[in-house]
Amino acid sequence: MGLELFTCMMKEEWRLHSTMFGSLSFALFPVLIFGIVFMSSFLLPLFRVVLPAGDLGLITIGVFLLLGVMVGGFGLLGNEVMNRRFGQMSLLAYSARSLPLSERYIFTNFVIKDIVYYLFLWVLPFVLGFAVASPFIGVPPVYPLLLFASLTMSFLFGLSAIFLLSTVYSRSKTALAILFTAVLVIAGWAYLSYGASLADLFPPLQLLRNGTYLALFLSCILVAIPFTVSIALFTPEYTGTSKRFSNLLTPLTGKLSFFPTPPLAAKDIIDLWRSGGGVGQVLFSFLLPLGLIWFFLSVLRSLVPDYAVLLVFAVTTGIISATMYTWITSFDTFSSYACLPVSVSTLITSKICTFTVLQLVPAVFMVIVTIITGMVLYLIPAMVIWGAVSFYALSVSIYLTGLTPNILVYDVNVLLAFLVLIGVPVMVVIALAFINPYFGVAALLLGIPAFGLVSKGYKRWEGKEMASF
Amino acid sequence: MGIVTVIEAQGLTKKFGDTTAVDNVTLTVPQGALFGLLGPNGSGKTTMIKMLTGQVRPTNGQATVLGLDVMNDPVGVRKSVGIIPEQETPPSFLTAMEYLAFVGAVRKIPDIDEKAAWWFSFLEFEDKRDVLCKDLSRGTRQKLMFAQAFLHKPVLALIDEPLINFDPIMQRKVKEYLSDYVQSGGTIFISTHILEIAEEICTGFAILHKGKLLYSGAISELADKKQHLSEFFFSQVRDD
Repeated sequence: MGLELFTCMMKEEWRLHSTMFGSLSFALFPVLIFGIVFMSSFLLPLFRVVLPAGDLGLITIGVFLLLGVMVGGFGLLGNEVMNRRFGQMSLLAYSARSLPLSERYIFTNFVIKDIVYYLFLWVLPFVLGFAVASPFIGVPPVYPLLLFASLTMSFLFGLSAIFLLSTVYSRSKTALAILFTAVLVIAGWAYLSYGASLADLFPPLQLLRNGTYLALFLSCILVAIPFTVSIALFTPEYTGTSKRFSNLLTPLTGKLSFFPTPPLAAKDIIDLWRSGGGVGQVLFSFLLPLGLIWFFLSVLRSLVPDYAVLLVFAVTTGIISATMYTWITSFDTFSSYACLPVSVSTLITSKICTFTVLQLVPAVFMVIVTIITGMVLYLIPAMVIWGAVSFYALSVSIYLTGLTPNILVYDVNVLLAFLVLIGVPVMVVIALAFINPYFGVAALLLGIPAFGLVSKGYKRWEGKEMASF
Repeated sequence: MGIVTVIEAQGLTKKFGDTTAVDNVTLTVPQGALFGLLGPNGSGKTTMIKMLTGQVRPTNGQATVLGLDVMNDPVGVRKSVGIIPEQETPPSFLTAMEYLAFVGAVRKIPDIDEKAAWWFSFLEFEDKRDVLCKDLSRGTRQKLMFAQAFLHKPVLALIDEPLINFDPIMQRKVKEYLSDYVQSGGTIFISTHILEIAEEICTGFAILHKGKLLYSGAISELADKKQHLSEFFFSQVRDD
């Protein structure tokens, strides 16, 4: 029965994605990853001149750890997030209501399905791309195997750690706050004590560097413990209790009266807050990834000036900040507004307003990072670069994906267009900032294409049927 | 003074890939009618309502609702009418009261608190006003969707399967409300596959089958022929 359920969930996940943007387009996504990695592998000899192989391995491991964190952060917050993720859809995750299967059993299958699915979607194509290129760049044949094992472990650790935090969250928000604070304190203390060499203790990285059975064993333990504990702690939330809330919409609409569509913006903020997304998303999809990125960028400090690291971090923060658009579009489809006199462009305008309010979080974050790293001198270029990149990336998302950035990001054509439209101007900004940090202020010019992209996005998505998908 | 037409569709067609959901439908609904669009599951009733409310663009043909072109001014159409979609979709994380306040703010309806209170009382769900929509039962969600559609007292309401989740007591109450609404000058356009409802409350009806319009006329015509709606319906949709 377990295998049947698992197989059906895999089919369901595939059909969910392929229905949304076409079987071929979605099937090409792993091929795209394979192609990019295959071609990038030939640049490795060039990279090694400026970046030691060990640091490159560390960054790769970090990227997959981050990927696991983001995949885990996307879901697995119990029923609340299943609802958010699946909306009103009837999926196997709900089958405990009609089949003689326990919630825990279904949930375990759901988790395994997600692991396998994303391994095939991301990890395997990445490693295969490198493996096929490895004979041409003088990499020993065993290295792709080690890479596969270590990247898998790194990805799974990210997933399982977030899974654990999410499960704790679904039981007690206070317990999560204590656990999260403890992890931050310990990580901070360890970073201050060991610096970047702290990463050397990470078993998946040891596995990649040394290829020992001990490292493999420790990696397995590192992954297995959070998974086991979180499945044991899992609690189905829908027990029939319904909380009551006083009317928050009316006063919030009044406070947001300077916006063009106050009730829509108020609804977005309430959605985010009550879904747990307000705190959860900031922790899992913003602070945690950026913390990891800062850690991995810090290895560049021996190669480039400190201000360059800060400004590259500002660019990265800008891109991650732009993903907040996916937070506020994940609660409803346009069909939710189909009985109201609201156009697609009005709705997009409202989401831009809500997005602007949310940018307060990364703005404060960037100020804090700039201060604690002792680079207040570069506060202005850092803030300008962050803000310009964030709003520019938002405009690209709006133009390419309209109100559905969550699902269209897996469309190969859209992803390629996104990478090109973001990558090229961002590279120019980074290059300018490297020449002189204040040249980075030129990022403000991104406002011009951003305005054009949003205007085109309005016309583009107004003309398409958005009633349902 | 002639009869005012509130809905006029000419050659309305909608194709989804190779499937023709609605095929060349021409239909008029006069003001003051309680008009039922009848048909089996999958006959194109919901697609028809979606086209008439500007949610779906017709592949061919044209339609006006209250004189507004549904393709050129879908927002204008939705501003003037009340709509209850087939699938109840109040936002998950708003309470019932907040949802009505939200609709009131979007539609700029004055005195929304009093109006919402009346609906909570009329549809008997005051105890659910502060509960999140995601935690409401299907029946209560439908009550909420019903309230939002009539909150601004539209001259025309389009309702997809109006009574399907209501208990018999609530069904009777809502049927009376709809009849009174029409008596006071409003127009109601409902789609349903429950023939008893149509026979009981509708003044006019049309039968849609496999996307094609088979018949359109007044319920009184059947009474003249001493024929029940169900008999007539089955005689029309019988496969050749």
